[in-house]
Amino acid sequence: MKRSLAYVGERALLIFISVVVLFPIAWMFLTAFKKPRDAYSLSLNFEPTLQNFVTVFSEPWNLGSMVMNSVIVATVTVVIAVPCAALAAYSFSRFRVKGRKFLFFLILSTQFIPAVVIVLPFFLMFRQLDLLDTRIALIIVNLAIVTPFVIWMIKGFIDAIPTDSEEAAMIDGASRLRVIKDIVMPMAAPGILTSSIFCFILTWNEFLFALILSRRDAVTLPVGLVSFRTERGDLWELMSAAGVMITVPIFIMALFIQKHFTRGMTAGAVK
Amino acid sequence: MQDRLLPYWLLIPAFIIVLATTIYPLAYSFITSFREWDLTKSRRPGDFVGFDNYIYAASESAFLNSLWVTFIFVITSVILTVILAMALALLLRRKGPMHTFTRIILILPFAMSPALIGVSYRFMFNPEFGVLAQGLGAVFPALQGVPWLADPDLAMAILVLTDVWHWTPYMTFMCLGGLASIPRETEEAARIDGASNLRIVFGIILPQMRGVILVMAVLKTIFALKMFDQVVTLTGGGPGTSTETLAYFIFNVGFRWFDMGYASALAWILTAIMMFISIWYVRMLLSERKMTTA
Repeated sequence: MKRSLAYVGERALLIFISVVVLFPIAWMFLTAFKKPRDAYSLSLNFEPTLQNFVTVFSEPWNLGSMVMNSVIVATVTVVIAVPCAALAAYSFSRFRVKGRKFLFFLILSTQFIPAVVIVLPFFLMFRQLDLLDTRIALIIVNLAIVTPFVIWMIKGFIDAIPTDSEEAAMIDGASRLRVIKDIVMPMAAPGILTSSIFCFILTWNEFLFALILSRRDAVTLPVGLVSFRTERGDLWELMSAAGVMITVPIFIMALFIQKHFTRGMTAGAVK
Repeated sequence: MQDRLLPYWLLIPAFIIVLATTIYPLAYSFITSFREWDLTKSRRPGDFVGFDNYIYAASESAFLNSLWVTFIFVITSVILTVILAMALALLLRRKGPMHTFTRIILILPFAMSPALIGVSYRFMFNPEFGVLAQGLGAVFPALQGVPWLADPDLAMAILVLTDVWHWTPYMTFMCLGGLASIPRETEEAARIDGASNLRIVFGIILPQMRGVILVMAVLKTIFALKMFDQVVTLTGGGPGTSTETLAYFIFNVGFRWFDMGYASALAWILTAIMMFISIWYVRMLLSERKMTTA
């Protein structure tokens, strides 16, 4: 009897947690498909419409160009950061170079610098170079946040790969670079993919840099949300439609790496 | 021969990126923090003014207010997140289809853009047509017509809520990782001896999780100190200045009033706080590891 009560209580708790997690997301998705009139009522009995998506992709909102900006900024950041970070992570993981501890600590400690500190000088510099409101500016500052993080993560994955096959290949006369290319990178591929997706999510959701460094041409999706706050008040149904556009690709990616999530996260922090 | 320099060659690309994107701006803002520079008046940096910007900060009530707001925010969000994450991890480490389902969906709040989280909570707590404002009012009559985000304390509570909602999943995954690494023999032995669940959790599991909890608390503190997005999209620092955190205050000084010298000084105060905590964190971890390997 006591056992079954605990059993029911545990299920109820799990359901409650799932509701707390899913409700805000579900409500946003529902609102995105409501007509403006329905968006301001709590009714679940409404006629779904795609009109909000049509509206946000047309003038004056132009969500399409924001999607482009977000995709380009996040992709280019990943393409630059991940290969550089993977090489550095390998070096940190396998060699005992002089000053290695200090360098690693230096790179890690940059993780703890507030973004406001970094963006201030960049704002001044980009203003001088006429780079404000460009995607290049956003890519450069995003690299600052993402690179140390990815080094940390990939190092965790490479540390977990045994060195035997590398040593065997080197005894057979393979060069170190060959070993990295043909042995280490294929084995570390799942970890590198996980790290890349993480890096993509971080950049995609980045808000502070884009808010300060973009005005019109380079605005990314999270900053675009703010533009639905108009003199007529907040346009919730359009904000929700934009919210759906921000979350769907990221949710798909996040669920894809869900299995590696715990390992990737804890490897860096606890090790 | 070539192999001896290889470790350094491998480090160079990443190191150039880190140097150019963090070390250089840090140095630049450090120097600017000792200058006078009103961007609305001059395109070039002004004179060096020594510690004036820092001295001014110490007496400015808006800055002191933001320190206090940040302190309240960090303390509440860290404590709530760590406790909730620990409790969730203890619940979710069991096997079962519902446990697995909950674990999977937990990744969603973490993957959601914090700016968007701010927007959606603002919508849900709108007094007229917000689903949470209305729903809470219907269940608890005392909460009917409460002007959620227009009340200083409630606005802060909702700000903390969004942050806890965003970060608890990440911290839960860290706890699950920690729980998986502690040996289960002691726990099973205690269970056979008839120890209660509460005693097992507090007497056996939590003491072994000390290291993980420490790491979580410090990481969460750093994330909370950096928190910025939801302040913009949820409260805008208001009502008044009741949710104006230090990061948001610096943003205002720098990019609304364009006082670059003062903003740099403030940014360095925040950096100093975070560096202090980080160094303390690394030292704590090192001593913790010595204890476990000894």
